[in-house]
Amino acid sequence: MAKALRSNFIRLVGLLVVIAAAVVLIGLPLADKRTERRVRSMLLTVQEGLQRYHVAEELYPKKRMSGAELVEQLAQGGFLEKTLANPWNGLPYIGNAGEDRLHYRTNSLAETYELVVTFPGTEEAEFRLDSTENQSLE
Amino acid sequence: MRSHHANLRVQGDWPITVAEVKAFLPGAERLRVDPGPRAGLVVEGAAGEKIGYAVRTMPESREIVGYSGPSDVLVVFDAEDRGLGVAIRHSYDTPSHVEDVTRDFIFMERWNGRAWDDIAEITDLHEAGIYGVSGATRTSDAVAQSITHRLALAAGGEGMSTPFRFGWRDGLLLGIVALGCLFAFWKAKSFQRWRWLYSVGTIVGLGFWMGDLIAQSLLVGWIESRVPWEATPGLVIFVAAAFLLPWFTKQPVYCQFICPHGNLQRWAMKVIPATWKRPLPEDGKWVARWIPVMLLFVVLAVSFLQLDLDLAGIEPFDAYLLKGAGLATIVVALVGLAISLFYPMAYCKFGCPTGWLLEFVRRRGGKDHFSERDWMGLALFAVALVLYLVPLTVFLG
Repeated sequence: MAKALRSNFIRLVGLLVVIAAAVVLIGLPLADKRTERRVRSMLLTVQEGLQRYHVAEELYPKKRMSGAELVEQLAQGGFLEKTLANPWNGLPYIGNAGEDRLHYRTNSLAETYELVVTFPGTEEAEFRLDSTENQSLE
Repeated sequence: MRSHHANLRVQGDWPITVAEVKAFLPGAERLRVDPGPRAGLVVEGAAGEKIGYAVRTMPESREIVGYSGPSDVLVVFDAEDRGLGVAIRHSYDTPSHVEDVTRDFIFMERWNGRAWDDIAEITDLHEAGIYGVSGATRTSDAVAQSITHRLALAAGGEGMSTPFRFGWRDGLLLGIVALGCLFAFWKAKSFQRWRWLYSVGTIVGLGFWMGDLIAQSLLVGWIESRVPWEATPGLVIFVAAAFLLPWFTKQPVYCQFICPHGNLQRWAMKVIPATWKRPLPEDGKWVARWIPVMLLFVVLAVSFLQLDLDLAGIEPFDAYLLKGAGLATIVVALVGLAISLFYPMAYCKFGCPTGWLLEFVRRRGGKDHFSERDWMGLALFAVALVLYLVPLTVFLG
């Protein structure tokens, strides 16, 4: 009896370890893909907000800023939902400090915009949306 | 309307961006769709002048499959129609092989300076001085053929992708299968005594030299794109034989006689002292039997959800390519071999998802009952069905 119990316990633990390894193998790229989709969606939402801002103000926001700052400015003007989530931590962008790899830039006359998402810890662009060359993420 | 149609025809589902072209033409400012037969993009500078031309090989070269899938290649020319460079934009081929091709500057720069028409006229890559990348021959050949095919079509030609080609590699693969069958079915001692030579031959020839091992990355690539029967008929027959022989003859010919990794483990079993060998406890065997099934779950998830995981890394077979092998596949190969020193044939019995599939299709004797293996197969089918039927947004957000 005790031997059978021990055997079942070993099998259960072993099976759980194998399942855990498979979950890790699937989970890591799945998490990356989910984040990538959220980043793409967020970028397109912010782009829409920027375009609404441009229609109303006839210029884009004038200074260089981080994603959180840009989202806050656009939301305050009513050009963007205040509940827009930060794709890297899932929390609302406004009022929550956290990873933010979105950067906003404009030219000296604020006639163009550039939204760049960089790879972690680098300046290399992972996604780029702007008013001239890269108007879509495709 | 016409402009929109031309844009769709030229740019397709994955438009070329100015940023991509700038890597070759730093002065590029705008891409203008060329509605003509070339169906590419005129690259314009700041003043609107033509400074070059860019094309992508998809969708025209979609049918040209490398090791396990087609590649979308960007080709950029200068204003005089001379090649400035090529870049692989996206590929359905095995990622580690694509990376090898991308890093091989000799191959990637072979197109530079060649005129559009010269590339379009290429029918023999070797004659044109374009040689495959060692360790990623099929992928690099497919990239080269995609380029020549795309340019030839635009120049009014037929391209070079259609002819059926049966080369020496194909013949050799068929020879290996035929010999494997002889060793499996012809039990004459005078013939079987040469089996060691065949075994060494598969490790050196099929493994290290040709690198044509049946792997999940290959099977999934073919399922996702298509089976390249006209480009590599020998490999297609080789894979078909590996699945059909156990089905019709009950003999696991590929696993027991042909697979280089299996043969390497058999040699390890013979070479090491018997005192090293350990019997695997029953509970250990029961748990280990789930490993290949779990790896097949991973394969299904990666394939259906298009996850960024190189399937070549979950099996040891790409390690035989040496130069093109990724770290993961080398680790799997070495760890599998190390374990098989103590537990003979451990990888084949408890680690190989491809072997599990081949064993799954093998016909058994007259016993007609639902075995543990059948339940595992049913579970895999159920997972595949769920992944197919449930909307992607449920998994990917």
